[in-house]
Amino acid sequence: MAYDRWTSLFWLALSVGACVKSVFLGIGAPNKPGPGLVPFGASVGLGILSAGLFIQAMIKKGEAREESLFTGKNWRRILFTILAIVIYAKILPLMGYLVTTFFLMLFVFWLAETKKWYWILFSSLAITGASHLVFAVWLKCQLPRGILSF
Amino acid sequence: MGFFDSILLGFQVILDPGNLLFCGIGVVLGTMIGVLPGIGPTTTMAILLPVTFRTTPTESIIMLTGIFYGAMYGGSTTSILVNLPGEAASVVTCIDGYQMARKGRAGPALGIAAWGSFIAGTSAVIGLMFVTQPLAQFALRFGPPEYFAIMCIGLVAVTYLAQRSVLKAIMMAFVGILIGAVGVDMMHGTQRFTFGIDELLDGVGIFPILMGLFGISEVLENLEQNLGSSQIYQAHVKNLWPSLEDWARAKWSIVRGTILGFIVGLIPGGGVTLSSFISYAVEKKVSKHPEEFGKGAIEGVAGPESANNACTGGCMIPLLSLGVPTNVTMAILFSAFIIHGIAPGPFFIKAHPDIFWGLIASMWVGNVLLVVLNLPLIGLWVQFLKIPYRILFPIILLFCLIGAYTSSNASFDLILMAVFGVLGYLMKKFGYEAAPLVLAVVLGPIMEANFRQSLVMSQGSFIIFFSRPISGITFGIAALLLISTIVPFVKRRYKKYQEFKD
Repeated sequence: MAYDRWTSLFWLALSVGACVKSVFLGIGAPNKPGPGLVPFGASVGLGILSAGLFIQAMIKKGEAREESLFTGKNWRRILFTILAIVIYAKILPLMGYLVTTFFLMLFVFWLAETKKWYWILFSSLAITGASHLVFAVWLKCQLPRGILSF
Repeated sequence: MGFFDSILLGFQVILDPGNLLFCGIGVVLGTMIGVLPGIGPTTTMAILLPVTFRTTPTESIIMLTGIFYGAMYGGSTTSILVNLPGEAASVVTCIDGYQMARKGRAGPALGIAAWGSFIAGTSAVIGLMFVTQPLAQFALRFGPPEYFAIMCIGLVAVTYLAQRSVLKAIMMAFVGILIGAVGVDMMHGTQRFTFGIDELLDGVGIFPILMGLFGISEVLENLEQNLGSSQIYQAHVKNLWPSLEDWARAKWSIVRGTILGFIVGLIPGGGVTLSSFISYAVEKKVSKHPEEFGKGAIEGVAGPESANNACTGGCMIPLLSLGVPTNVTMAILFSAFIIHGIAPGPFFIKAHPDIFWGLIASMWVGNVLLVVLNLPLIGLWVQFLKIPYRILFPIILLFCLIGAYTSSNASFDLILMAVFGVLGYLMKKFGYEAAPLVLAVVLGPIMEANFRQSLVMSQGSFIIFFSRPISGITFGIAALLLISTIVPFVKRRYKKYQEFKD
């Protein structure tokens, strides 16, 4: 794969970081294994294989096609969805489940290019209400109530 | 407790209205997601795991298992009618199933798939009933080195059977072990890889990982494309009961598929997809008319569909008797047990006979329900394909969010889920598989504990892993698996080098 040399470098960097951290944690001795022993072994293994993948990718450099994996894809929709999840996580404890989820649903239905506004509104209300009934009322999950207390 | 008493106990458990309801919910959901492409049983089980927090352990396990084997039934419907596999195990059913449908024989194809699934599913439950207890008894002899060896072979087998690059699969297993190491070390109380974040002291929760890598990444991948509805099959399906000639041709395929699927389920790393592919290859090999395969051979539907259903029973045996999940779906079921404070393993049947025998009885009842639900309601299941993804994805997203949040009641887990969602999406893009990573996250801490206990037992000698017969043989098999992966690669490189030199 054309991107293997970049991804292998990422894993290699991660393995080096984990390796150094494991040494600081303490590898111990075989009869008294330390907390860093297993992470050290795993990071060394990951490092060796990442280096192997990098070499393999460099050898095959000419053979691999360099086309972008994101060309023609609706990557903006992906980016907005991730952003929505992060904002949802930040606002949820403050505004509570019902309000935050309703606005998230409005946003994702809009993102999904649902044409009619009343359909977006109705779907968001229905899904938020139904999920609250199932999880908070029936299954008694503790969903945050927020400053508005619902 | 005698054998018949145990069976009676099982039926007593499953006939409890609550358990029966969850069995029904499980198989209906399983069939539905089996029909729907873009969401598989593993993802659904992961997403619905938090639903089981407030239910009893028996209800949870019965429902999740129902989703698993229910999806095997549902997957065949769309494979046969619209050449669209709802889940990976039904990919191979498309080959001959769809050709049969094109020749106007959709009814017999659906009929033999359902009956084959039923026969295989119920036979596998009998196998599960008889094999689990002796294996659990045998597992009482296991110590830390044996458990470490079994978990190692589980991880090696998952990477060996990787659908893409084996090298990348092993890398993901190492990443999984590293993620599993985050948190406070149980033996020394040292903080590992927490970076001063208090929420990581208990480790990275399995739920944000599962929701992110399976649920969110699948949503993100589907969001790349047009979110419209699928074209669906409009023709009327007739003659669901296969003819005597169909039965004569398919009967041995069903028997072979059942045995093969059950055995593949027992092997670490073996899963429903692998079982159906092997079964198809075997059927083609033993058939007197191999030229008919790919053109609508009923054996090509009966064998794989039986195999993937038998596999669901087989792969539960290592989990219930040894406490070792052998594939990612079983790792999710393992998490469900752990949530309820139940440790599957050698003492499981003795400590929780109601759950074990209730599960066995539920699988029988569930299989009967599936035949009843699937055959007469085929038209209804196909209608599910009409649901556009723009309606489905907000619901999947919400289930993931609720699941990740309610697992710890902390919004930090939502951020973690988003991180793993992006990681899972990029992993798909760059050809890395999530299954070895998840299995390593689940097995990693247990493996580490057993590894360190073994070393303490042997006073630092690594010989302990090879001097004890069970762990020695297991490591031998693992080494053979690894060598068999490396040798062809080295041979290919050497050949290329020779060509280059010439």
